[in-house]
Amino acid sequence: MTTSLVSMPATVSRSGSDARSRDEAFAAIALPLLPAITRLARALAGNAADADDLVQETYLRAFRYWHSFTPGTDCRLWLARICRNALHDMRRRESREIATEDAELESLASARVHTAAVAAGLGDMYARVDLRPAIRSAIAQLDPVFRDVVVMSDVEGFSYEEIAEAAGIPIGTVRSRLYRGRRQLQESLMTYALDAGFATAARSRSPQNDDR
Amino acid sequence: MMTGNRTECEAVVRRLWPHLDGALSDDEREWITRHLEGCVDCRSHFDFGRAFLEAVTAAHDGEDVAPGLREKVLAALAREGFSSQPG
Repeated sequence: MTTSLVSMPATVSRSGSDARSRDEAFAAIALPLLPAITRLARALAGNAADADDLVQETYLRAFRYWHSFTPGTDCRLWLARICRNALHDMRRRESREIATEDAELESLASARVHTAAVAAGLGDMYARVDLRPAIRSAIAQLDPVFRDVVVMSDVEGFSYEEIAEAAGIPIGTVRSRLYRGRRQLQESLMTYALDAGFATAARSRSPQNDDR
Repeated sequence: MMTGNRTECEAVVRRLWPHLDGALSDDEREWITRHLEGCVDCRSHFDFGRAFLEAVTAAHDGEDVAPGLREKVLAALAREGFSSQPG
């Protein structure tokens, strides 16, 4: 396995009981969050193999730095921050800034997507069509700059402030990336629904032939 | 049915995402809520946005850890000195 695990110098030599209480706390607090971190890693990494490596790397780092976790604080957020940092190290990607735009313009753009969807007979597409696979694939295809923020917000339910802290970016940047990512998702879902013929089905539907 | 107040509608729709995210001040939230009660057009934009957010969340419900991943993680941790068997 390729390993980004540059071996760390053994931090402190611990007595057996220190190590045992560390392991117990880690097992009780961090390990139960494995499903949530797996979900996060899958959405962030875009493919299952990378996601598995990312989960493993996240837990190794979490274990090594467990002494820096503050008991009583949100361990899921702490792990999410490690996960995101690990991904960025794995990809060695410079996080590039998008032009800081008025985030509110993205809200207006999303309203225009809705208007277009209504015009295409897709105003109720979320109620009518099972978009789950399409949504997962559309998220995977988002630019990582937007995907990170969309996943943390809309899949994992973190607040703007938590995302800003975890991603190390200002809240204004969280907002503009999040809203733009959502708008891009909405556009690709609408394209998907159109290509899959759901708009046509909507137009041909009438009360008289609902009795199948 | 239109409220006929385009300027207010635009100002309301500019706050679509922060409103749905619960990120507005109390004053702004009340103002938006009041506007939406009387404006079908704006309300439909917000309903569509909410349906989108719910669909994104639902698309990831029920995902579980892949078979073997937990064991893989535990094995890697064990090499770091972690013991899942206390005592």
